[in-house]
Amino acid sequence: MTEPAPTVFVVDDDPSVRRAIKRLVGSVGLEVELFESAQEFLRSKRADAPSCLVLDIRLPGISGLDFQRELAQANIHIPIIFITAHGDIPMTVRAMKAGAVEFLTKPFRDQDLLDAIQIALERDRARRQQEAEIATLRERFESLTPREREVLPLVVSGMLNKQIAAEIGTSETTVKVHRGQLMRKMGADSLADLVRMAERMGISSKAA
Amino acid sequence: MLSANAVMTGSYDYGEVARSVLIAIAASYAALDLAGRVTAASGRTRAAWLTGGAIAMGIGIWAMHFKGMLAFRLPVQVSYYWPTVLLSLLVAILASAFALYVVSRQKLGWARALTGSFVMGGGIAAMHYIGMAAMRLAAVTRFAALLVTLSVVLAIVFSFAALMLAFDLREETKGTALRKIASAVVMGVAVSAMHYTGMAAASFMPSAVPPNLSHAVSISPLGNNGIVIVTILVLGTAILTSSVDRLTEAEVRRLNEGLEQRVVERTRQLTAANEQLRREIAERQRAEDALRRSEDRLRSVIDTIPALVWSKMPDGSADFFNQRFREYTGLSVEEGLGEGWLKAFHPEDRASSVDEWRSAFATGKPFEFEARLRRADGEYRWFLLRGVPLRDELGNIIKWYGTTTDIEDRKRAEWALQEAQAGLSHVTRVMAMGELVASIAHEVNQPLTGVVTNANFCLRQLASETPNLEKLREAIAEIVNDGTRASAVISRIRALLMKGAPERVELDINEIIQEVAVLVRNEVTRNRISLRNDLAPDLPRVLGDRVQLQQVLINLVMNGIDAMRTLTDRSRELLIKSAKNPSGVLIQVHDSGPGLDLEQADRIFEPFFTTKPEGIGMGLSISRSIVESHGGRLWAVPGSNGALFQFTLPSSANSVS
Repeated sequence: MTEPAPTVFVVDDDPSVRRAIKRLVGSVGLEVELFESAQEFLRSKRADAPSCLVLDIRLPGISGLDFQRELAQANIHIPIIFITAHGDIPMTVRAMKAGAVEFLTKPFRDQDLLDAIQIALERDRARRQQEAEIATLRERFESLTPREREVLPLVVSGMLNKQIAAEIGTSETTVKVHRGQLMRKMGADSLADLVRMAERMGISSKAA
Repeated sequence: MLSANAVMTGSYDYGEVARSVLIAIAASYAALDLAGRVTAASGRTRAAWLTGGAIAMGIGIWAMHFKGMLAFRLPVQVSYYWPTVLLSLLVAILASAFALYVVSRQKLGWARALTGSFVMGGGIAAMHYIGMAAMRLAAVTRFAALLVTLSVVLAIVFSFAALMLAFDLREETKGTALRKIASAVVMGVAVSAMHYTGMAAASFMPSAVPPNLSHAVSISPLGNNGIVIVTILVLGTAILTSSVDRLTEAEVRRLNEGLEQRVVERTRQLTAANEQLRREIAERQRAEDALRRSEDRLRSVIDTIPALVWSKMPDGSADFFNQRFREYTGLSVEEGLGEGWLKAFHPEDRASSVDEWRSAFATGKPFEFEARLRRADGEYRWFLLRGVPLRDELGNIIKWYGTTTDIEDRKRAEWALQEAQAGLSHVTRVMAMGELVASIAHEVNQPLTGVVTNANFCLRQLASETPNLEKLREAIAEIVNDGTRASAVISRIRALLMKGAPERVELDINEIIQEVAVLVRNEVTRNRISLRNDLAPDLPRVLGDRVQLQQVLINLVMNGIDAMRTLTDRSRELLIKSAKNPSGVLIQVHDSGPGLDLEQADRIFEPFFTTKPEGIGMGLSISRSIVESHGGRLWAVPGSNGALFQFTLPSSANSVS
């Protein structure tokens, strides 16, 4: 399975800075897409690939920090590297707390930017993988019957078949069949495996 | 010889009878006349008149009587026993005195009139018969009782009539002369009638017995006439005296009356004048009261008006202070008079205040200035002093009037406001500085970022085995562009600070200096700096932007003020001087602050270089840009004797626009 080429998005209102960054980042073999404003970035159709955002703090219309918050609210989890010509400590703290990968002051060292981009892309890759796994688990979970979905939380909470049978008012044998089915459908090798899957899907074990 | 029993026939000499009647009339007149005199007189004069009058009247009556007797001629020789004659004369005088006394009394009642009549009538009768008894002749005298009684009754009746007449006529009024003469005639005739009745009562029988002629005298015609003459003289004298006296008295009375009338007239006039005077006094009193009330009102207004009020003579010496002035300064009226009021001024303000007064008094123009005055408790407060001259119709100043108003609170508020403003402007300047720095950083960092990033790209390319020369060329071109851009940013910021598009017009630099002096006056005063201008006349005009040149001067002046703000060991002086120089004008701003050393003088025009804690170091840099844009030069002269900044501007003839 070949990974799509990672992309670096650059939002800066200064065309010269944009071009210089593209030249630098492009020279290490990364795809670079340039945007003049936050709005332009939002409107763009971005490729489904590991990516990161190099964002100027001072932007026409909206500040970089506000844009960071807007993205989070819109559930767009793209790692952000801030670059600014004039930054101060409170601004940096705020940006980092909100999840920024790095906060660079213009003019920055080229390696610092490239390193930050690498970290950001790694982070995005990991995030993307995680999201993919959860998506697979959710797909499997969707294939369960309603009865199996009912039994799953009880199983992961460590209850015995007899107990589960009593809980849902059926026979121990029936519970045993359900259990086997859901283990097979979820692709779990063991109970521990199943418990981990449930956790990742955010299904809490049902306490007796 | 005649027979003893035959009555001797007597005859009357009618001439003598007529004379006797005349004498009677004259005596009567004299009596009436004298009665008036006696009545009019009083005291000794009255007694004298009474005595004299009685003698004259008595002699008159007696003379008439004696004359009547002499007029009776008997055939025998008749002599008169003179002592008896004298007695009869005395009786006549006494009777007359009594009569005069009666009629001269204030009132004449019936009883008194009757008593008087009896006494007087009796007296006259007594005089008559005593007189007859004095006759010495060779005959026996017999009296017919009836006729004697009749004569006595007539005497009394006539006396009554005479008294009534005399009493009636004694008031010496006009128109009585005729009545008096008439009355005198009636009385005289009546007296004569009584006398001749008495004579008729007597008859003479011849007697052989020779009369006792001892002490008897015979009356010769000469003696007879002598009696008449004497009588006439006496009576005449009496009447004359009486009339002279009366005339005198009348004259006196007339004069008196005139005088009285004049007195009455004068008194009336005087009363009227007095009344007028009283009215005028009352009127004046009212006017004075009104004036006093008005004065009191004015005084209370002047004393309670919330200001210190004063007046001064044209020479500047004070002559009035209201109560508030006295209360505030604690100076008494006497202490404040003349030049004493100066004591109330703050020592630091005294000289300048005196200068203000002097110039006002010299020019005669209203003035206004501020000074600190000492309150009675020793505290000084700021006051606004204002004065205006009062002129007469010729335009000469008679007096100066003025008020002195406490502006301490306003002054404090002003200072507070100024400080707040100064603080605010400082904050604004700091904020502006921060913004400016941020702006500069951002604007300059953008191209610098491009330069650094591109340069790094170039280094990376050069380090690779197959550098992309095309991309290298592009990147280097970008670096050049960004470098140029960074420089442009700096220029733009400077232009931004200079604000507005400059314009070039012909200007008088002295005018600009004076405008700036007005603009900075508040700041100068607040910092107790004496600002002086030394402006050369007839300077060439320069071509420039008024606002920008003002900005340069204000900048230099404010720098001077800032430099002297902490100065305490010498006076804070700022001199702005203009002079001609070869290419145009030279303007100098010299303060008395700590001055500049050589390094400072050199660096002070660099952007962001400042010697002031709150300075941003742009003022002089911008000022120099402005001056240079005008074709001039701005520099600082180092020295410890205060900082000297000077700049030149070319004259409009020499400047290149």
